[in-house]
Amino acid sequence: MPYLVLDRLTKRFGPWVAVDNMSLTVEKGELVSLLGPSGCGKTTTLQMIAGFLDPSAGRVTLDGADLLARKPNERGLGIVFQSYALFPHMTAAENVAFGLEMRGIPRADRDRMVRDALQLVGLGAFGDRYPRRMSGGQQQRVALARAMVIKPSLLLLDEPLSNLDAKMREEMQIELRRIQRSVGTTMILVTHDQAEAMALSDRVVIMNKGRVEQVAAPQDAYDNPASAFVANFLGRTNLLQGTVRRDGAGRRIDVAGTAWPVAAELPDGPGLLTVRPEKVRFVDGAGVPGLVRARVFQGTQWLFEIRTEAGDLTVIRQHDGQTLPAENEPVMVGWRAEDMRVMAGEA
Amino acid sequence: MNRNGPVALVFHMLFLAFLLAPILVVCVVAFTSQGYLSLPTEGLSLRWFKAIGDNPEFARAFRDSLLLGAVSSTIAVAFSVPAALAIARHQFRGREAITALFLSPLMVPHIVLGIAFLRFFTQIGLGGTFAGLVLSHVVIILPFALRLILAASTGMDRSIENAAASLGATSWTTFRRVTLPLILPGVASGWVLAFINSFDEVTMTVFIASPETTTLPVRLFLYIQDNIDPLVAAVSASLIFMTVAAMLVLDRLYGLERLLVGRGQE
Repeated sequence: MPYLVLDRLTKRFGPWVAVDNMSLTVEKGELVSLLGPSGCGKTTTLQMIAGFLDPSAGRVTLDGADLLARKPNERGLGIVFQSYALFPHMTAAENVAFGLEMRGIPRADRDRMVRDALQLVGLGAFGDRYPRRMSGGQQQRVALARAMVIKPSLLLLDEPLSNLDAKMREEMQIELRRIQRSVGTTMILVTHDQAEAMALSDRVVIMNKGRVEQVAAPQDAYDNPASAFVANFLGRTNLLQGTVRRDGAGRRIDVAGTAWPVAAELPDGPGLLTVRPEKVRFVDGAGVPGLVRARVFQGTQWLFEIRTEAGDLTVIRQHDGQTLPAENEPVMVGWRAEDMRVMAGEA
Repeated sequence: MNRNGPVALVFHMLFLAFLLAPILVVCVVAFTSQGYLSLPTEGLSLRWFKAIGDNPEFARAFRDSLLLGAVSSTIAVAFSVPAALAIARHQFRGREAITALFLSPLMVPHIVLGIAFLRFFTQIGLGGTFAGLVLSHVVIILPFALRLILAASTGMDRSIENAAASLGATSWTTFRRVTLPLILPGVASGWVLAFINSFDEVTMTVFIASPETTTLPVRLFLYIQDNIDPLVAAVSASLIFMTVAAMLVLDRLYGLERLLVGRGQE
């Protein structure tokens, strides 16, 4: 039985629909990311689960119980806020102890649990510090400890790493993953950073304009994007215009004079072919003809901009000693049929 | 860091001297041995300070002023905190109107308020009472308390309270343990500013006060209408000394800047 269920959850602000008929099930112990650009409704969804916003329609159940019937302070959820939202007038230990105090846990147990929680996030020695005397990463860990120490039935993380610098963010990602593995808390992570979502999640929910575009494991969503939006949002991709038609051998898509087999059931007419930059190769024989417009050395890899009849292509090749085409050189590019996806294009 | 040029420096010195000179003059005159206000004075004496003791109505008015200021500032703050929180964080119908209403006593001349309150209090049987004084003072000092508390409430991150709620705190606990401590600098400075305004008020109070319940400024004002002697200077000087002492103590304990500007802990 699914643990958390969002059932046709909708939030309207006047005429504007922030979250549109969203349904999602999350299993116990899973880490699911809500991923999308700003304004896609991911934070609104989180706020409705937390109880800070009332949905316009729909249901939320947690472990079979109706969550919407309970006030925010009765939901027993842990929340980590984008701004950390630590109590600035309390020390790290007092911050962490707050939730335990609200639960009426006796002093001695409380002290021990606070110590353990701070230890878990690697801040054992920082209990007496005030938040203003801690770095962003440390504050974030205190916020995490504060949310985890109450043993929440569900942990909600709202862009928890977006205020950290790149190096710190990577460390915290690993930390978060480690804690999630060891404690096994069910987590919902809201983020606009696709790399973060992919690194942390068991499944990602890609949202756009209040709607769910795709729910899948990160690698599945990356390899098999359900829409052009998903393909574009999850990393770099190439979109090529083509024409879908059927002939004796099956369904094909014509792109700049080359034909590629299409596995999906698509109507004849305009089609959109997507292929990831790192999956495109330079070929000797048949392929899509193009011209190298630019090439950029990026250390571990080379980045090429190729102009073709069907549109511009980005190509990424490893820097592994192979001879690679120079700028303004005509080339042929190709890819394996299983590395491309075809969607119906707009007429 | 010296960013003032010599001309600016001279200007500021003159400006300060102009501001402080009257206070200094009052303090010097209070120590005169003459029976009239004189400067420079012939001899030094404490006779006018002793004279305060012979006029117990000054001490009583002083006590009443302190009580009035404390009670009305407290009421104004108790009223301003929920009002400021509502105005700072909710969008509701009539929000602008309510804000304008609460701040409007600043715009009405005190003499108009004085006459209006006199008529009104006589009508409802509060004329000449301490309760009437408190009510009218709450009205005129409310804008000062509200403004400072509003500034503190507006700057507060809403998610801090959400965090408290998510940890299981009821709305009352959240207010007591989180919200109030965070806006406390604003509340404290709002209270002090309200108190100073109440203590200082003459124009309106002179209409409402009665011989039994009157404030020190009104008592002084009435006294100098009949007598011009150094007694008022002695009373004023005593007041100045007490204020300076209170300021020194507060600065030691809390830091004056924090209290008066409403700045948070650094």
